[in-house]
Formats: sequence, structure tokens, C-alpha cells
Amino acid sequence: MASHFSGVLQLTDLDDFITPSQECVKPVKVEKKQGKSVAKIQIEDDGSYVQVNQDGGRQKLEKAKITLNDCLACSGCITSAESVLITQQSHEELFKVLRRNKASETEHKVVVVSVSPQSRASLAAYYDLSSSETGRRLTSFFKGLGVHHVFDTSFSRTFSLLESQKEFVERFQRREQDSKALPMLTSACPGWICYAEKTHGEFILPYISTTRSPQQMMGSLVKDFFAGQQGLSPQQIYHVAVMPCFDKKLEASRSDFHMNKAETREVDCVITSGEVLKMLEEENVSLNDVKPAPLDTMFSSVHGDDFLRHSGSGSGGYLHHVFINAAKQLFGEEVKELTYKTLRNKDFQEVTLEKDGVVLLCFASAYGFRNIQNLVQKLKRGKSPYHFVEVMACPSGCLNGGGQVKPLPGQNPKELLQKVDELYRADSPSVPEEDTHVAELYQSWLQSVGSERAKELLHTQYHTVEKMTNGLTMKW
Amino acid sequence: MKESLSLVQRLSAHPDSRCWFVSWSPNGTLLASCGGDKAIRIWGKEGESWVCKSVLQDGHQRTVRKVAWSPCGNYLASASFDATTCIWKKKSDEFESLTVLEGHENEVKCVAWAPSGNLLATCSRDKSVWVWEVDEEDEYECVTVVNSHTQDVKHVVWHPTQELLASASYDNNICVYKEEDDDWECRATLTGHTSTVWSLSFDATGQKLASCSDDRTVKIWRECPAESGQGDVSWKCVCTLSGYHSRTVYDVAWCHLTGALATACGDDAVRVFKEDETADPEQPVFSLAAHMAKAHSQDVNCVAWNPKEAGLLASCSDDGDIAIWRFQEED
Repeated sequence: MASHFSGVLQLTDLDDFITPSQECVKPVKVEKKQGKSVAKIQIEDDGSYVQVNQDGGRQKLEKAKITLNDCLACSGCITSAESVLITQQSHEELFKVLRRNKASETEHKVVVVSVSPQSRASLAAYYDLSSSETGRRLTSFFKGLGVHHVFDTSFSRTFSLLESQKEFVERFQRREQDSKALPMLTSACPGWICYAEKTHGEFILPYISTTRSPQQMMGSLVKDFFAGQQGLSPQQIYHVAVMPCFDKKLEASRSDFHMNKAETREVDCVITSGEVLKMLEEENVSLNDVKPAPLDTMFSSVHGDDFLRHSGSGSGGYLHHVFINAAKQLFGEEVKELTYKTLRNKDFQEVTLEKDGVVLLCFASAYGFRNIQNLVQKLKRGKSPYHFVEVMACPSGCLNGGGQVKPLPGQNPKELLQKVDELYRADSPSVPEEDTHVAELYQSWLQSVGSERAKELLHTQYHTVEKMTNGLTMKW
Repeated sequence: MKESLSLVQRLSAHPDSRCWFVSWSPNGTLLASCGGDKAIRIWGKEGESWVCKSVLQDGHQRTVRKVAWSPCGNYLASASFDATTCIWKKKSDEFESLTVLEGHENEVKCVAWAPSGNLLATCSRDKSVWVWEVDEEDEYECVTVVNSHTQDVKHVVWHPTQELLASASYDNNICVYKEEDDDWECRATLTGHTSTVWSLSFDATGQKLASCSDDRTVKIWRECPAESGQGDVSWKCVCTLSGYHSRTVYDVAWCHLTGALATACGDDAVRVFKEDETADPEQPVFSLAAHMAKAHSQDVNCVAWNPKEAGLLASCSDDGDIAIWRFQEED
């Protein structure tokens, strides 16, 4: 079966992040009767095992099974890391939590679902609805299942954009003292991060922005601020993120995003746009028949009953926002529109700020493995002209993520991507610096916890991952 | 008409190691070999014998699996188990390491230059095929990374006249790639072999492709023109040579001067096949023209026809030797 993860991650070998090993320490309970007689075990043609007793009686032997639920990255199993991740974080897990909620009063969890705008656009394309209408109906669908709150990650992305802007200006200002301050490479894409940690390690990590991705910003918002506000402990909240790719499941499982004291993850489960479609199909529901519900505005970017988006790329608009802010802050230039120049291929673009023939800022966006390769190799040879690069593992960016709804039989994938892009852009753009709700949270939440804690909530760190050269774990 | 394969010279090329691959320079005067001793050796003729002209020693940390000459003959590329591909520049009789291409996750199994001279293909155990482009300043950049195979990719080869690439894999398939828009895509998957496909060779015009496999057969594939302008081309297997090899066939080489087909086999033998001229070109028939049973004392890894001198064939083996043969038709 082909891997669901991004091409970049596939080439990185997931098993080095979550290590399966050869011995399972879980004791297996098998129902067996005590017997005095000696029995033989025969292997049938179909591979099943049959016990043949001395008196000739035959019993088919049960397969010893361990559910992946029991395996929480213990000292190991033969199951690949990929299967562990996909099974631990799945729509079935969400259904389980919702069922448990209905069944028990004491073991009740507050269920929060944070939906990414790319996933909304993907489902909108499938159902021929607008992105906002899709969001309203998804809210209704999820709440009908027992979900308590449905948020929008464009809201948390505002934090990511603001922090990225600040971080870039800081790095630019210390570029003479710190040879690794620039270029600043974006950090929102986990496929890129894991590849960087594994393949280039210490060399590349200092260049990567420490700003958290919108998914993990929402993790902080929900399990720190929201939890406190609602008088809940973080583990009483089950936080689900709906994302356009599978790589985000790996991001959610990082130890940096595990709240050790509370023994819970900031994002408990990531499900993809395609998995949400599966949920709808399993419930026999079409979004076209669902009545819209009012939006949860607490952590959503809305204007009235419509969602707002950010300008720039469908992968978050990091280049756009950091460029405009840097031009203003560092050079007093007001940039109204960005002119993108396509380089080697359409997934590698450049934007520059020039004045009087001098290049003041040189930014790029590099999507897909081949462009990431060239970017890193150029960096290694000291030949990179860039101050900032928006890096994404998937060709065409997040709107084309591996977890998006697949084209229907006969549907042209390029046309579908175009449709998703149009639906994404149909929402009105909002400017991060003008978001009063976010500004208010900076005051009330982040100021109050002190700068150290604020840094933990808004930023993260990276770790060089060693290659596994153990012969037992090699896949031949 | 009787054909024969006679030994011209045997060279102890990579002593105490394996010789993995041999490649003739485009003008046919030099032979490059590489092996398990991490070295590349360049052989040239002095008088009547072949001698070692130079040794490229410190380019790689592990086995050098394949070497390839650029079409102009001024550059040599070497693919190594150390996951890198080294580009060497020829400076009179010496070679200088120009650049090292990194990126593959693990062992690079093959490198091949496109006939145009500014594209290079590599493939690896990491299941991917990379295409690189070189500019006027000898700078290499990755053009694309294609993941069409599900297992170790053993060999890549370029079409002699079109910008078309073919790859062979442990997954038993052959993939054919073409550039579409601004990216390369697998346009055809050739299935038929029942085990690892070890090597590929196009005939002189590129209309036919020969593949050899662990399934002990050699298959000949022919390009079928697209139906009603569909765009996508398909390849059909038009001939299977079976029953000739008693072990894995590791390499196949199509002579662009004579049309003869040579094979390297795990049964230590080198064989040469000739196409029956009277047969229907859509259904070619090959017959065994020469069989050197004990060509080497161990597995034969590679066979290569000299591009300028008809009938001159080089082979190399796990026994560390290179053997140079003359294939000729006697009356």
C-alpha cells in the first residue's frame, strides 16, 4: 500500500522518529484450558494453526492479538511507525471518544475540533459549497456527533504570522553577529521539519524559524488558555485538528508538544480532510443536506457568519506577510502587491524588494522535495541569495496535501486543485496586525504568563535525529 | 557462419575485491572500471596491451557501483554505496573531483548521462530516481525526484536520441519517464519479469529496449506508437530469451555498431546473442551466437561493447578481473 505521507517524509524514514523494535513487551492473554495431554500443532494450507489432541480432536487456535491501542511506542513491535501513527490518530479514535462521552458521565471529555482553512476548501470543492458554508455545516455536523467546540486554525495562524514577522525582523537585525540568522526558513510544515532534523541536522536547524505552526498554536490556545478559562485540566480536553495532510499527525506526536505535567498532548488527534469525508460517509450524511450552525467565534477568524482568510499562498501566506512587514519595519517601504518570479519550476518562486537598483530583501518560496534539495545544497555551498524562504514539502503547497479529498474518477487533479484554490481565496482577507481579538489575547493571556512561558507557548525547538543503522530495523 | 568469442586480455583490476562495472569512453580509447575497493581505475592501450593509466582513489567512502562517461568524454560520474555521486573532470591523463552530488538517502546504484550532455540521472536503494541538470558553470541542481518504484532501483539508462529515461528495479518493474510540464513523470511501467530487473540497454535507434533479470531471462521490449494521439506511449514485450542462463542475468549490453546483444551472468559466463535478420522486426528472434562458459571464476557483473571498435567487448566480475574479448564472425 502506498504511503499517505508526503514525498519528503517518505524519503526520510519515519521509523527513526517513532522506533519500532523487535520485542513486544506486552503480555498477551490467551484463553487456554489446562490440559494434561500432549497435543500437536498442525499448520493448515491456509496458514491457520490447528491443535490436534491425543484423542484426535481438533481445535483451531486463536491468533494472539495486541491492539495498537496497547502499543504506545513501548520498547517495540514489528508494526511500522507509520501504522502506529495512523491508527492512534484516526477518525475511529474520535468516534471512540465521542461514544465514551455518551456512555459515561465521569469519564467525560470536552471535545474541541480545530479545522484548517485548507481542509475546509477541500471539502467545499467536494460538496460544491463555499468555504464559509462548508465551515458552518461542518460545525453543525461535528456538534451533532457530540463535539463541543469547532474552531478555525486561521485564527491561530494569525499568531504564527505575527510571531514569524517579529522573528524575521530580529534575525535580520542580528545578521552581522549571527551567521545562521539568515535565511530564515519557515517551520509550519512538519514534513520539512522532520526531513531537516534527520538529513541535515545541526547544519540546518539554526536557520529554521522557532515559531509554532498554526496547529500547535491552537494546541497552546486550547490546552493552556481555554482550559484555564473553562476551569478544566488539559487532559479533560480532547483536541482534534483537521488538516490537509498526514504529516501533521507526526507533528502532533512530537515530544515537544506533549504536556508532561498534565500527561496529555496539545493536539490529541489529527484527522485529514479525507478522513472527515469518511466520517460523513460512515454517518450517512452529506454536507449538502446539513443545516448550517452558527460559528464558534472564540477561536475563529470570522466576520459575521463568514470566515476570513490570510493573503498570500494557500500554505499560510508566510512569505507574503513577513515580506510586507519587513519592508515596512526595516526600510519604511509600503508594499501593496508582491510580484512573484517563477524560477526553475512553478514550485520555486522569488520576490525581491529593490530600491535604486539595490536589492534590499530577497525572499523565496520552495515547495516540493526537489526544490528543498536545491535550496539546502545551495545553502551548504554558501550560494543562497535569500533572506527568507517559505518551505513546504508538497508540490503546490498545503492545498495539495496528501490528506486532501482525492479527485473523483475522471476528474482532472489539476482542475480540482484549481477549484480548491479558488474556494480558499474566495474568503475575504484579514490583516494579522489588525486583529483585535488576537491583540487582546496577547495582552490578557501572554502578558500575564510572563515572557518565558509565552515563548514556550508560541515557539518550539528542533532536534537532530540520528539515522538508525541497526541491521534489524533496515527494510530490504 | 560461425561466431566466436576469444580472450584478448585479462586484467586484475580490483585485486582482493569485486569489479562491479566497466564503461568505455565515448571515443573507445579508455575503459573505466570501479569496484568494492572504493576505487575507480582508468585503462588505456599502450601498444598492444591494456594498462592502468590512473587510479581515482579517495572519491568515495564505500564501494563504487557504477561509472559513466559524459557524451563529450571530458567528465566521469561515479555512483557509490556511500550515497553520493561524484563528478570527475578529465585533465589530460588525470581526473580531478569536481563536485559531489548528495541527496540520496542510501546507496546510489547507478548514474547515467543523457545524450544531450547536460542532464544526469541517478537511482538508489531509497527507491527514487533523480534527474540533475548541469549549467555552464559546472553547477549541478536537482531537476526532479521521482518515486515510481516500490523497491531498490538498480539501473537507469537514457534513450539514445530522445529525452526519455528508463529505470529497473527490485520490484520487478521497468519505468519509463518523460518530462511533462515542468516535472518528470513515469509514463509507462513495463511489467513481465518475475524477479529483480538488474539492467537495461537500448538498441542504437532506441526503438527497442533489452532488460535482464534475476528470473534468468532477457526481455526485448518495443515501443508501440500512441493510439489515436493519446500522447502516452506504451512498450510491449516482443521477445523473451529464456533457457539460456542458469543463474541471474546481471547485465545486458546492446552493441550500437553491430546489433549484437551481450549478457553477464551469475553462472560466470558471458553470452552473445544475434538477431535473426529474416524475422519480423515486430517479433524479433535471437539466437545464441557465442557462449564463454568460464569467462570469469565468479559472477559476471557487467558487459560493455566498445562504441567505436566493432566486436570489442569488456566484462568484469566478482573475481576482481576485467576481461577483454573479441567477438567475431568467422567464415
